[in-house]
Amino acid sequence: MFSYLLKRLFIFIPTLLAISLFTFIISINAPGDPVETMLNQNVGGDGSSGEKLTNEKTYQTKRHELGFDLPLFYFSFTNATFPDTLYKIPKKAHREMLQRLSYKYGKWKNVSDYYHSLQKLENKIVEIEINEESTLPLRKLKDAVNVLYTNYSEEKISTTIKNIELNILQNGLLKKNCENEFNNFINAYHHLLIDKAVANKYIPVIYWYGLNNQYHRWISKFIQGDFGISFQDKRPVSSKIGDALKWSMILSISSIIIAYFIAIPLGVKSAIDKGKPSEKLISTGLFLLYSLPNFWVATLLIQFLGGGGLNWFPTFGLGSLSEGAPFWDRFWETAYHLILPLFCLTYASFAFISRQMRGGMLDILELDYIRTAKAKGLKKRVVVWKHAFKNSLMPIITLFANIFPMAISGSFIIEIIFSIPGMGQLTLSAIYARDYPIVFTVLMFTAILTLIGNLVADILYAYIDPRISFTIKK
Amino acid sequence: MNFIKSIVFRTKVKEEKALHLSNEREEFTGKENESYWRVVKKQFQKNKIAVWSLRIVYLFIIIAILADFLANEKPIAVKYNGNIYFPIFKEYVVDLGLSKWDKELVNVSWKELNYEWKILPLIPYLPKNIDFLNTSVSPFDEQQVISKKWKHWLGTDALGHDVLAGMIHGTRIALLVGIISMGIAALIGIFFGAIAGYYGDDQLKMSISSIILYSVGFVIALFYAFGARAYVLADALGNSFGNFLLELIISILLFLGILLVFQFFSFLLKKIPFLFQPITIPVDIIISRLIEVVVSIPRLFLIISIAAVVAKPSIFMVMMIIGLTTWTGIARFTRAELLRIRNLEYIEAAKALGYKEFRIIIKHALPNALSPILISIAFGIASAILIESTLSFIGIGVPAETITWGSLLAAARQDASAWWLAIFPGFAIFITVTIYNLIGEGLTDAMNPKLKQ
Repeated sequence: MFSYLLKRLFIFIPTLLAISLFTFIISINAPGDPVETMLNQNVGGDGSSGEKLTNEKTYQTKRHELGFDLPLFYFSFTNATFPDTLYKIPKKAHREMLQRLSYKYGKWKNVSDYYHSLQKLENKIVEIEINEESTLPLRKLKDAVNVLYTNYSEEKISTTIKNIELNILQNGLLKKNCENEFNNFINAYHHLLIDKAVANKYIPVIYWYGLNNQYHRWISKFIQGDFGISFQDKRPVSSKIGDALKWSMILSISSIIIAYFIAIPLGVKSAIDKGKPSEKLISTGLFLLYSLPNFWVATLLIQFLGGGGLNWFPTFGLGSLSEGAPFWDRFWETAYHLILPLFCLTYASFAFISRQMRGGMLDILELDYIRTAKAKGLKKRVVVWKHAFKNSLMPIITLFANIFPMAISGSFIIEIIFSIPGMGQLTLSAIYARDYPIVFTVLMFTAILTLIGNLVADILYAYIDPRISFTIKK
Repeated sequence: MNFIKSIVFRTKVKEEKALHLSNEREEFTGKENESYWRVVKKQFQKNKIAVWSLRIVYLFIIIAILADFLANEKPIAVKYNGNIYFPIFKEYVVDLGLSKWDKELVNVSWKELNYEWKILPLIPYLPKNIDFLNTSVSPFDEQQVISKKWKHWLGTDALGHDVLAGMIHGTRIALLVGIISMGIAALIGIFFGAIAGYYGDDQLKMSISSIILYSVGFVIALFYAFGARAYVLADALGNSFGNFLLELIISILLFLGILLVFQFFSFLLKKIPFLFQPITIPVDIIISRLIEVVVSIPRLFLIISIAAVVAKPSIFMVMMIIGLTTWTGIARFTRAELLRIRNLEYIEAAKALGYKEFRIIIKHALPNALSPILISIAFGIASAILIESTLSFIGIGVPAETITWGSLLAAARQDASAWWLAIFPGFAIFITVTIYNLIGEGLTDAMNPKLKQ
């Protein structure tokens, strides 16, 4: 048994690694620039060179602080057009533009010249002291440069260049100040177009980065229990998840307890009464309940018992009593708010568990030893509860494995519908806001809990049915 | 979530049952001179509820196919300026690029033309049509319409979209979600399950040379088929889903082609005796771990996080994601069945006859593993439809302009008094999920020899 446990725990490791890799891949492919989200920067601004510099500086520090200036992974497997230092380019949008360009034209050196000349042009623009008549052209020029920073199609670039040449640089002040830089930029662009190496993208390359990379940094912190800080409000992820988990746990655990308390006796009873009309009614009812989508039931409840209809129950949040209110007042207020969500959570699992219980019981009641027990004159109740019950629990145990992950993610949709600040809301808003430290942590935790749940179920199997043994394998 | 989970539990339990019953299958088909599938069919037909569920599925399929003729802004047939037109047919032809609209019919409002006569569809609205005069009307409200023909039988939403039209066209999406996502899941699941089950941990032997060649070939094929084409694929996805599918197929063909080349090399290398030492590969362990990884992430979380990352949401993307994440159930069934079948005598006979293993798996082993796969596909369709409607209900992954049952139901959240928005679309989801579950149950019972009378 012990060696079996050890073996199972050992198998956890590759599984968790795979899941962590998967979540990591999702997060780096997510659209949007996390550093920018966190700084909540207004890109562009109107400001002077000083402001731009400070902006850039805060961006760089933040990026460094979050570890986004590191390579992504231990190695990268790409084509020869991409350099090994691509990760050093700060902004995600710029990085994407440069990748596209070098993929298209094949020579990184030319692309990098192009980028640097564009940067020089931008720096020059910022330095210009504005006079009245060049305010508008200057703004247009800035916009044009921003367009160049994010576009990689030949057509778009050349029209933008033409636009700068013909419209904006007609302004004397601008022409005087940045004609040089602009010409350099155009030269770099032409060089890029002429000096191509298209076949480069078909040459595979592997770059080795070593341990100092984003994934390593994240996973080692995760193992040490540091889950990072939320991009949205800079609170530690663990405290945010802790707050949310409280509500999800309250909801899920109470619903599980209620469901089991109703479902097991009901399941047993309908198994004993098999064939009676009352039982048929109950079974059909259970099947229908089981098939009802719970988000539909939630919507209906809100419509008819909540705000839209009879207005018996609150349908939103957890009540408005402050922290200072007496405990019991707050308790009742919250309980009142939780009635509808709890109902929605409970009915489906309760219907499902009773159906399982019924099935398990029916299988057992057909067996010979039950007939023997009946034949020797034992009371029906004794036969059912003492002889059959324990053995009919097998299918229920399979379900037990899912209790752990359900405590985290079981009430996802219901929480969203009833605006309860639990894990569902937290995860959904984190996904919308690209707040990946939270998404990461939630996914990893649910995965770990699922694995643990499966293990616990296996152990319970062995406990209930001694015939199951993990030590002997044929 | 709870509910979706329960379907997952249920398939697990079903899996055990299905295994159990398939073990008993041989004896019971052997006794009578009837083919196994005939018995199953007979048993299934005895189950009135399942038969009726199947009939409702047929009805839904008909509605889905005829959706354009049942609810459309264009008339089915008109006489206009002395000519007879069939605008809806015509639209199909135009969409296929085979014809063009006549000049006077381009950009016309079909509702306002003066026809000599016309045959209108049952519901004269498309889901996207907006009726400004009747916003948020219930079926029993006074509606400002020309005649009864134009009445909104199931009401409208806050913008004036006709609910019934939305539900008719939503049927198409619901059924497509079931078919396409389960099609993808079945392909992947049967493939992995068959390999894991047939070879187990001890049957797949490969020489060192081919292992090396295959792994090198795999990496290189991955590079040329997907790495070097990454931007082509991404741009195609930005373009349209059909385009993406085309490029994806090209990539996959490229991938397989490169692997074939490497297989040819491995054939050459076989001449070198040193490299031709066979090693056993534990495919079963590898694939079982893979399944465990996918299963241990909660499915809805997984789908939501992928769907939120996809740059351009589309309903087909959702179907693909559902398919790519729900294959594990089918893979488990197939694996368990093939683990049993591979030890049967007829497989040994096939091996002794010198058949290729590929042929044995496809032609001899898989057909006998079909019944549990079918059962899990039926339950899988139910859960796929449920997942899709959940996603559209919370507004993730499905673009706003696509009208599905879930998105119609979501409109009820904005308007707490619009009971018709809550009842009808939800009921459609409920019915569809229920009938697929009932068919699944019916199949399970039909394949259970214990009940045979």
